[in-house]
Amino acid sequence: MGSRKGFFTDTTLCIGCKACEVACKQWNQLPDDGFHFTGMSYDQTAHLGASTWRHVAFVERPVPLQGQTSGAGDFSWLMMSDVCKHCQRAACLEACPTGAIVRTEFDTVYVQPDVCNGCGYCVSACPFGVIDRREDDGRAWKCTLCYDRISDDQTPACAKACPTASIQYGDLDELHARAETRVRDLHQQGVTDAYLYGKDAEGQPGTGGLNAFFLLLDKPEVYNLPPDPVVPTKKALRSWASVAMGAVGMVAVAVGAVVLGREG
Amino acid sequence: MSDDTLLDRLQRKADGRNIDPRAGILEGEGAQQRVKDPEPTRQGMDVLSTVPSRSGPDSAEAPSYYGMPVLKEPLWIWTVPAYFYVGGVAGAASVLGVALESFGGRRLGRLAERCHTVGLAGDIMSAGLLIHDLGRPSRFLNMLRVFRPTSPMSMGSWVLAGSGAVNSAAWVLRRRPGVLGGMGRVAGWMGAVLGLPLAGYTAVLVSNTAVPLWQQVGRTLPLFFMSSATASAGSLLSLFPHTDKEERVLRRFRIAGKVAELFTREAVELEARQVVEVGKPLRSGVSGALWMLSRTCSLAGLVVDVLPGRSRWKQVTADVLSTVGAVAVRYGIIQAGKASARNPQATFQGQRQGLGAAQVDGNTVASDGKPLSFPLPVLGQASPPRPDAPYARFMVTQPQPL
Repeated sequence: MGSRKGFFTDTTLCIGCKACEVACKQWNQLPDDGFHFTGMSYDQTAHLGASTWRHVAFVERPVPLQGQTSGAGDFSWLMMSDVCKHCQRAACLEACPTGAIVRTEFDTVYVQPDVCNGCGYCVSACPFGVIDRREDDGRAWKCTLCYDRISDDQTPACAKACPTASIQYGDLDELHARAETRVRDLHQQGVTDAYLYGKDAEGQPGTGGLNAFFLLLDKPEVYNLPPDPVVPTKKALRSWASVAMGAVGMVAVAVGAVVLGREG
Repeated sequence: MSDDTLLDRLQRKADGRNIDPRAGILEGEGAQQRVKDPEPTRQGMDVLSTVPSRSGPDSAEAPSYYGMPVLKEPLWIWTVPAYFYVGGVAGAASVLGVALESFGGRRLGRLAERCHTVGLAGDIMSAGLLIHDLGRPSRFLNMLRVFRPTSPMSMGSWVLAGSGAVNSAAWVLRRRPGVLGGMGRVAGWMGAVLGLPLAGYTAVLVSNTAVPLWQQVGRTLPLFFMSSATASAGSLLSLFPHTDKEERVLRRFRIAGKVAELFTREAVELEARQVVEVGKPLRSGVSGALWMLSRTCSLAGLVVDVLPGRSRWKQVTADVLSTVGAVAVRYGIIQAGKASARNPQATFQGQRQGLGAAQVDGNTVASDGKPLSFPLPVLGQASPPRPDAPYARFMVTQPQPL
């Protein structure tokens, strides 16, 4: 209990079965999104949202997988089960003005629904576009990393349901070691495209590393992930400095206007 | 129970379908979501226009996930840009009020009082506008649950609440004799001190988000908002009837604000234009139109103001033009931010140009381990397709040769 927990999502093992989406919906008793077809691929969920805490992306690529050929010509699928990244420096947490978003004893980021105000500031702050406000509910929701399950020493629903061990849950240090071994193995097999996305602060300084990190085979943009995300708070100081500059100017203008205008 | 036949009872016993009703109670984390509309409408998507993920203008060099946005759009409603204007006016008016009180002498006392009234009225209106965005008054109080320096919204709530409190106290106490009057003047001073961040923090509020345009203009937007607040407070105060003596102060105040607004607006646009896709919403669509309208009105307001002649209608025209410009620009900024959040390339392009974490941490490597040096090709002006491009035949929209 209490150690740093996280997800390692190995997208090379993902078969796009969406068991994680369903398991998440079921365990967390998330409401229906309605039945809609996106018309673009097998991805009908389209994005993470208030009532979708796991989302499987289907990347249709006109490029073959390394070392493989297929009957369909130069073509390959990449699948990735996306989730809240539970950043080490979480933009939503730093932006939340009510203290509704907290860091748990497992180093995950949790939204307390009874405190959330629905101001929507976390929604604009997240550089991954994960957290969302449900319009008819008025509050922001996202993956809790199954806080209720892990408090009870259980595996989160999505990782438990994953049939290919594409989603792995555990202590972060252990996951890091496992991920590095996997990348090394893949490179030895000739899949030199494989790399880890957001493993630690070194790989992703803007967020200080992610508690839910990924093994990817193509540019982050292909999976709808930002290539060099930054927690907006890191850039806030320069804005406050500009406010200070503006304040000096405003005082100067006010005092100047009065002093120069009072005579005559 | 009494209606059950023997068969019913036997069957229930046999097939185990009599589920414990307690098992049906929803206790999951997401079960607390209040769903009013079980079939939410989803925004329409351009069917097949961007298949596969590397087709269309965003080629292999600038891919995206079917052109879908990375970020969630900001959710703020119309009251928030209105608050940006009203809060700015309130802050700048409080500052001018205290400057008049301290250096203006007795003859400018009435104008000082008018400034304080505008400041207090602005604070009250601002709180009302924010509460309308949040939905319930108790939610504004909820904002004061914690004090969080990393959240400009938390800081702003404290600034607004504090400014409202001290300005109210000043309003009640200022004209009392003795100690109470002194306390009122001190409260007025504090109102002016809080008025400065009140006029500027809203720019920090928007630039402290992941929205590409807002994040991009984080350095210049506060200066622009504060000069615009000066200009709009001066214009609003000039709309009230005032004496010639008061006009001499007001004129200097508002023209300084308008000139600063003119220059800082250009700085904002320059900063936004560093990244092609990020600067786009300021030149196209609804946001571009609002930005253009505001620029025209503000410039016209300044020109009319400095033209010779002292007639009242000329003054009113200038003030109305400046006010329209100041209001329109705030709506324009919000709309432009929403447009840039919808465009995935606005997010990607800036970060690939080294304007993401690289800007603050100096890292030179993107998440995929590739150096952050290449500027992405400009969309719509992509280089002609390479004959060896294997993906060309998958493209629904064939790239046009130049």
